[in-house]
Amino acid sequence: MAAKEQEGALTGYRILDLTDSKGAYCTKLLADMGADVIKIEPPCGDQGRRIPPFLNGEPHPDKSFYFLYRNANKRGVTLNMESDEGKDILRKLAKSADVLVENFGPGCMDSLGLGYDVLVGINPKLIIASITEFGPDGPWRDYRGSNIVDFALSGVMITSGYTGKAPTLLPGTPAYDAASEIADIEILAAIYCRDALGKGQKIEVSVHEAARTGLYPWSVPIYSYALNPDGPPPAIESRLGAQIFPVYPCKDGFVRVIAITPRNWQALVRVLGSPEVLMLPEWENFIYRVGNAEDLYAIMLEFTTKFTQIELWEAGFREGVPIAPIYDIPAFTNSADATARKFFVEVEHPVAGKGQYPGPPYKWTETPPTVQRPAPCLGEHNEEIYCGELGLTQDILMALRYAGVL
Amino acid sequence: MSRTALEGIMVISLGTGVVVPDATKMLGELGANVIKFESTDNPDFVRTLGPKNTVAGFNESNRNKRSFGVNLKSEKGRDLAKRLIKMSDVVVENFRGGVVKSLGLDYESVRQLKPDIIYVSSQGFGSGGPHADYPCYGPMLSAASGMLSIWKQPDDPYPAGSNSPLPDHMASKHVAIAVLAALDYRRRTGKGQFIDMAQTEVAAALMGEKYLEYTMNKQVPQPLGNRCPYAAPHGCYPCNGQDNWVAISVFTNEEWRSFSKAIGNPEWAKDPRFAEIPGRVKNVDELDKLIAEWTADRDAWDVMETLQEARVPAGVVQRAPDTLRDPQLKHLNAIVELDHPEVGNRLYNNVPFHMSATPPLSSSTAPLLGQHTNEICRELLKMSAEEIEQLIAQGILESA
Repeated sequence: MAAKEQEGALTGYRILDLTDSKGAYCTKLLADMGADVIKIEPPCGDQGRRIPPFLNGEPHPDKSFYFLYRNANKRGVTLNMESDEGKDILRKLAKSADVLVENFGPGCMDSLGLGYDVLVGINPKLIIASITEFGPDGPWRDYRGSNIVDFALSGVMITSGYTGKAPTLLPGTPAYDAASEIADIEILAAIYCRDALGKGQKIEVSVHEAARTGLYPWSVPIYSYALNPDGPPPAIESRLGAQIFPVYPCKDGFVRVIAITPRNWQALVRVLGSPEVLMLPEWENFIYRVGNAEDLYAIMLEFTTKFTQIELWEAGFREGVPIAPIYDIPAFTNSADATARKFFVEVEHPVAGKGQYPGPPYKWTETPPTVQRPAPCLGEHNEEIYCGELGLTQDILMALRYAGVL
Repeated sequence: MSRTALEGIMVISLGTGVVVPDATKMLGELGANVIKFESTDNPDFVRTLGPKNTVAGFNESNRNKRSFGVNLKSEKGRDLAKRLIKMSDVVVENFRGGVVKSLGLDYESVRQLKPDIIYVSSQGFGSGGPHADYPCYGPMLSAASGMLSIWKQPDDPYPAGSNSPLPDHMASKHVAIAVLAALDYRRRTGKGQFIDMAQTEVAAALMGEKYLEYTMNKQVPQPLGNRCPYAAPHGCYPCNGQDNWVAISVFTNEEWRSFSKAIGNPEWAKDPRFAEIPGRVKNVDELDKLIAEWTADRDAWDVMETLQEARVPAGVVQRAPDTLRDPQLKHLNAIVELDHPEVGNRLYNNVPFHMSATPPLSSSTAPLLGQHTNEICRELLKMSAEEIEQLIAQGILESA
C-alpha cells in the first residue's frame, strides 16, 4: 500500500492549465485531489514566478512562495501558443485532456485559432473553462482588473478594515480565488455528468461576478431587505468589524469575541469575573453595544488584559460565549489543532528545498488529497510529456526549443 | 429538454450558519434535490437573527432547497430522518462538533444505513484537535487561522477584519467542490466516503504563501494594508460623498503614463521620481497623498471610468447600491428578483454558473421552516395524511 501512490478522487483526469494567478488556485484544488494537472507556461514563465516574497529574499523563478504554494502537485511544460508549432502541440494535448482552463481574456483563444469550436472538434468530451476579469462580453468586457480592484468591486472591501480608515485588502488573492472556486464547482459538475451527456461543455467565469458570490453574497440581499418604501433609507454599509465582532487586548495578544445573544453576553461577563460595571442591563443589548463600542472597549480593557488568549478562549467555551485568539501566522502554524490534524506537510523542491506547506483543508477517508510533488521548474516536464507522451523525438524537442516554441 | 448536472442526486443539509447552507444552495442550483432538516427547537441560528422567515442572509443562502421540519431530539423524528438519509447520496453537516454523534446521525451510524454515502462534516477546527467541539463563527476562524493578523493597515491599533462572515463563504465553496469530486469518484468506483473539513484550514489554504514565508524564511508575515511591494500606486483613495472610495493599481510604467495622462498630466505626475517602479514604490506615501488629493472631490464612478478608459485598473469600492447600478453585473444577469411568500419581491444573487450544456436551475426562494414537510412525507416517505397530522400534533414534525 505504502509503495503505491495514493489514489485521489480525481486520479485519471487530465487538466490542461493555461492560467496565471487568476486560475492557479482552481487547478491547485483539482491537483490536490489527484488530477494530472499540466501547467502550460509561456517560454518566459508564468508571471506568478515573479511574485515576491522569495525564499531567502532571492528573486528566482523557483523561489516565489506564491508560485511554489499554488502550483504544487502540477507538472509543467513550456509552450509558445502564438507559434504554429505551439498551436499544433496544444491541439495534440487537447485530444487526451478532460479539462482545459484558461484566463487569457475575452476572445483570445479564438484569435489564436484555439477557440471552443476548434478544440471540441478535436475532443468532443473536453470541458473548457474560461476565467475572465469581467466576462466574455458586455460593457466592461475590456476593462482591466487587479487583485485590489477586483476585491474593491466585490462588495466586501467596504466592510473590511478599521472604522474611519481606508477599506482594507484581504491578504492573498481573494477575488481570483473566489473565481477559481466557482470554476472548480462548474468543472466538477461538468465532469460528473459528462458521460451521461456524452459530451463536454463550455464554462464561463468572470472574476467580477464570482468574487461577489464567493466572498459576500449577502450584501445585496441585506440591502434589499432593508429597503422599505415607507421607512428611512437603509444605513450605508461601512466597516463595523470591530463593533459587531469586537476585538480586545489580553495578556499575550488580542482575542475576538462573538457575543450576539444576551446569553452570550452574560457568559462573557462571567468569563471576566462578573465585574459590576459590566452588569448594567443596557450592555445586554447587542445593538447598544455596537453603538457604544468605543466606551465598551475602554471599560473592557481592564478585565480582558488579566487573562491570556487561551484562558479566554477556553473559559468562553465553558461559559457559552464564542471567543477566539487572534493568532499570527506562526501561532496558527504551531497550534495544537493544526499539529493534531497534520495540516502542514513537507514538500521538497529541487531548487527551493524542503518546506512545510499548508496541506488540503480536509481529510478524506477513501481518497485523501495530498501534496505529492513540488511546483514544477520551468519546462521541467517538457521531455516527459512531449517525448514520452506525444512521441516527439529528442531532436525535434531541441529544434522546437531553439525556435522559441518551448 | 436538457438535464441538469446533478439530476437524481439527493442531498441532506444538516446545516446552520453560512458554510453548509451556502454549499447546499449551490448543489441545488446544479440540480440536486436538497432537503434541509430543521426545527423551531433547533433552528439554523441565522433564521433567528430577525423576525421569523425574514432574515436576508438566511433567505439568500437557503435557496434551491426544501425544508423538512423535524425534531431530531425525538426518536421518531430521527427515524424519519434516517429513512430520508437512506434514500440520499450526500449528507453535509456543520453542527457543533459532537452533535451529530449524539443524534446518532454521524458518519459511522449513517454508513450502516447507506454504505456508499458521501458525508461531509465541516467544523471550525475540524476533528482531532483540542478545539474540535468548539462552536465557531467565521470571524473567529479568520482570527484563529492567522488571517486576521495580516488583514489590517500597519498602523491600525488592532485588526478589525470585516462585519461579513469571511472566510465562511469561501469555505462553503470548498464543501461543494469536495462533494462534487467525491460524487464523481463514487460514480466510477461505487465508493462513498467521509470528508472532515476544518474551516480554519480553508482560511490558511487561501493564503498558503504567507505560511511558507514563515516556515521557509522564518519570518513573521507583516500586514501590508493595501500596499503592494512591487506596484504603486496600489490602494484605496477617498472620493466625494460619505465614505466613498476607489481602488487604483498601477503596475507597469506604461500604465503609469496612461494614468498621468488620464488625470490631465498635472505637474506633480511629471516628477521623475515617479517615472519608474522603484521610485514610485519608494515614494509611495507622497504619491498616495497626491492621488488622494486628486480623487477627493471626484465621484468614485467617474474616476473608475476615466481610468478604465485609459486602460488603468480601477474600481469603485462597491456597496450594495453600486452593485445595482453596475452595468456589467446587469449584463451578466448577476442579480435576480424573487417573490418570497413572506417578504415579497427582494433581490438576490442569481445562479453564478454559466455552463453551455447543463443550464443550472433558475433560483427559487428559501423555504419557510417546514414548508415542504408534507410533500416530503407523502412523496418520499409514503406516509398517509393522518400519520403526518398525528406527528405534527405530537411536535415531531413541523409544517409551515
